[in-house]
Amino acid sequence: MSLKVRALQALMRLPAYAWAAVLVFVSLLLLALATRAAHVPGARLVDRALLWEAPLGADSAQAVRLPHVWRNQRRDWSGQATYRLVLPPDLDHGEAAGGLALLMPRVGVRHRVLFNGQEVAAVCWRLGPGYCDTGIRSQFVPLPLALLSVSGQANHIDIEVQGQALRISGLSPVWLGPRDALEQRHRWLDWWQVDLTWMVTASALMMGTLSLLIWMRTHERLFGLLGGGLLVLTVRLWLSTPSFLPGSFAVWDYVHKLSFTWYCGFVYLFMSELFDFRQGIVRRLVVVMMALGPVWLLVLAWTANYQLYRMWTGVIVLVCVAALLAVIHRARWGMNVNQRLMVVVGLAVMITGLRDYLVVQLGLPGDVDIRWMTPGSLVLMFAMGWVLVRRTAVAMEQVARHNADLARKVREREQELHSVFDRLRLVENQRVLEAERRRLTRDMHDGLGSQLVQTLNLVRSSGQSVDSAAIEAMLNHALEELRLTLDSLEPMEGDLPTILGTLRQRIGPALQAAGVELDWQVEDVPAVPTLEAQGVMHLFRCLQEVFANVVKHAHARRVTVRTWDEAGRVCLSVCDDGVGLGHAAGDAFRPGGRGLGHIQLRAAEIGAEVDFVDAAPGTCVILRFAPA
Amino acid sequence: MHATPLPPVGGSPSGGARLYLIEDDPSILQFVRQALSLRPHWQLLGHAGSLAQARREALLCDANVYLVDLGLPDGRGEEALRLLARHKPAAELLVFTVFGEESRLIGALEAGATGYVLKGCSASDLVAAIEQIADGGAPISPLLARLLLKQFRSVQDARPEPVAAGLASDVMLSERETDVLKLVAKGYVNKEIALKLGISPATVGTHIKNLYRKLAVHSRVQVVRAAQERGLL
Repeated sequence: MSLKVRALQALMRLPAYAWAAVLVFVSLLLLALATRAAHVPGARLVDRALLWEAPLGADSAQAVRLPHVWRNQRRDWSGQATYRLVLPPDLDHGEAAGGLALLMPRVGVRHRVLFNGQEVAAVCWRLGPGYCDTGIRSQFVPLPLALLSVSGQANHIDIEVQGQALRISGLSPVWLGPRDALEQRHRWLDWWQVDLTWMVTASALMMGTLSLLIWMRTHERLFGLLGGGLLVLTVRLWLSTPSFLPGSFAVWDYVHKLSFTWYCGFVYLFMSELFDFRQGIVRRLVVVMMALGPVWLLVLAWTANYQLYRMWTGVIVLVCVAALLAVIHRARWGMNVNQRLMVVVGLAVMITGLRDYLVVQLGLPGDVDIRWMTPGSLVLMFAMGWVLVRRTAVAMEQVARHNADLARKVREREQELHSVFDRLRLVENQRVLEAERRRLTRDMHDGLGSQLVQTLNLVRSSGQSVDSAAIEAMLNHALEELRLTLDSLEPMEGDLPTILGTLRQRIGPALQAAGVELDWQVEDVPAVPTLEAQGVMHLFRCLQEVFANVVKHAHARRVTVRTWDEAGRVCLSVCDDGVGLGHAAGDAFRPGGRGLGHIQLRAAEIGAEVDFVDAAPGTCVILRFAPA
Repeated sequence: MHATPLPPVGGSPSGGARLYLIEDDPSILQFVRQALSLRPHWQLLGHAGSLAQARREALLCDANVYLVDLGLPDGRGEEALRLLARHKPAAELLVFTVFGEESRLIGALEAGATGYVLKGCSASDLVAAIEQIADGGAPISPLLARLLLKQFRSVQDARPEPVAAGLASDVMLSERETDVLKLVAKGYVNKEIALKLGISPATVGTHIKNLYRKLAVHSRVQVVRAAQERGLL
């Protein structure tokens, strides 16, 4: 194997978090290159101004350094101030580059610009109460050359700013210079501050909705937490792009701040779930924070006391630090691939935050107008989605493996069952065959055998004078017995009328010979399941007994055979017009009599109840079969 | 190919039954000869003790009633029945059976038998059976009727097929025949069936005989259809 192939294989074996670390490192490098210290050809970055904390001339001015944030000047930071900038005398007026322009990366929350005392721009200046924050995006103001001083006096620009309660107001360093170059810079900043934010917003909305839909189907909490977090992030990001929104400022500001609180909460809960850190005080703190947030922020909106928000931000920071420590503590026990991936991405996001702080607050080299946190949050979001996809894929693989295992086990069990079933069937077949053999043997013994023995005895006792008529009759009887046994083996499927008809064939001639008229009233009835081969033989024997009694003891002239369906029970009756119960000679149908006992015994074998009814005249034997 | 139709047997004064026996048991031959003594004008034209002999000689004989045993030493009686049914369509083919097992009888009827006689019956019973069949009747048992009903039901289920449709009247049960079969299956005898259906007992017998003929036709149709499906025809 060549060295190249081995190297490639080693690379392919790298875990996902290692690839993510490489990717993040490269991305940060590219980001650093793209956001080096800003330089606009021909333009000057102005970071000093004169400030009037009121409309111009109302108060004495003071020199301030930009960025200047209204901090602690007023309790609610509302009010008005004016920043005066003086155009550097050596500034190229840009006749060849489309004229002069002013670029304010951050100014807010409302402002207007006067060039040498003439208003050249105003944003939300005369709006009145309502939501407006011009500090969200950079503001580009062309400066008409016609307004340049011709008297030799210094040109100056006044930037009047209106503050807003609970919102940071003030002015960042501004750019002055050629219009074309500054417009290009303005578009670049817009892409970072607006377009990129919109992209992140759309991604968050899509991923959040998808996660919630998956959560609704799978009920896996991770998806629910991610979905919740991304949807509140969507709200927050959406509120970070437009300068103007209809409606009350207090309401939108409340939603904006609350969405941040809940986003932090959801992210922590997601992490704790991912790190299997579902118990503990930090988690409870987060839940309390998410529950308390709406109330706290409502009080803040009501009192317009920014100190309350500072305190609340402190709470969020403390909880996040505690959460971070908890995760680090948890990490001591080792982490899986997903957890390591999240740590890598989490570190990257922290680096973006740290960079923004160092560049914006401490003035380290870098483009102060561009924040890394926006693409950082996008990476975090995709990493969370990636982790979920991996978890789902692993879960699905596990399910597939379990299904395969289950299918294999089911197959094995099925084979075992088949084999057991085959053995049972064999045993059952043998048992049935044995039972059938015994039954046939018994029938042969009781019927044909005894008949042949009687015939043999008759022949032996007759000596030389053989009564051939008697022997013929006995042999005929034996043959009929044998036929009856064979009849019972025919497939009659519990069809009572056919069974009775078959019996009629055998006993009909005997009844006719005895002068008994047969009244056949057999009708279709449902099949009787107990009348299989053995059951048929039992019924034959029952009825043989009944007809024998009719002929021998009842002295009947007529016998009626009837079948009917009695509320789901198949019934059969054999009624004669003979002497009736209690009058017959012998033991026929007497309680305890042998005939009655035989009939009851055989009827029980086929699940039938027997009634002997005095029909006056005659007797009725009624068999009622158990319902199917 | 077909034999000349024979004059009716039995009760007809102008002719008598000309019997041919295919049976390997000499006692049965003896029994048949005894039975014939009851009808002197009947003749036993010949006797075959094996299937091979029957193949050689039975067709040459001018008999109108063939008595065929199903258990021959060198083959099955059903083969002899098939042969006779093809070459002697007007002859009556009576099966000799010891027990009258219906599930075996139905095979014989499909092969072309038109009736059956139980071995062990008296000479007069045999004569009566021959006369019954000659008069256009046929013996039947409730179980046989039940099996026939099932058999024909399967034919009717296959009716949409062209072969069956063309021969519908030859292989399908008529409504009356169905009624007769149902009553026989319930154990009613010809006289009772005639009373219930308002027809004569002889007509009941005719219906039964027709059923046997249809069963044989049906069986032949099945054979032809199977051959067509296999591309043999």
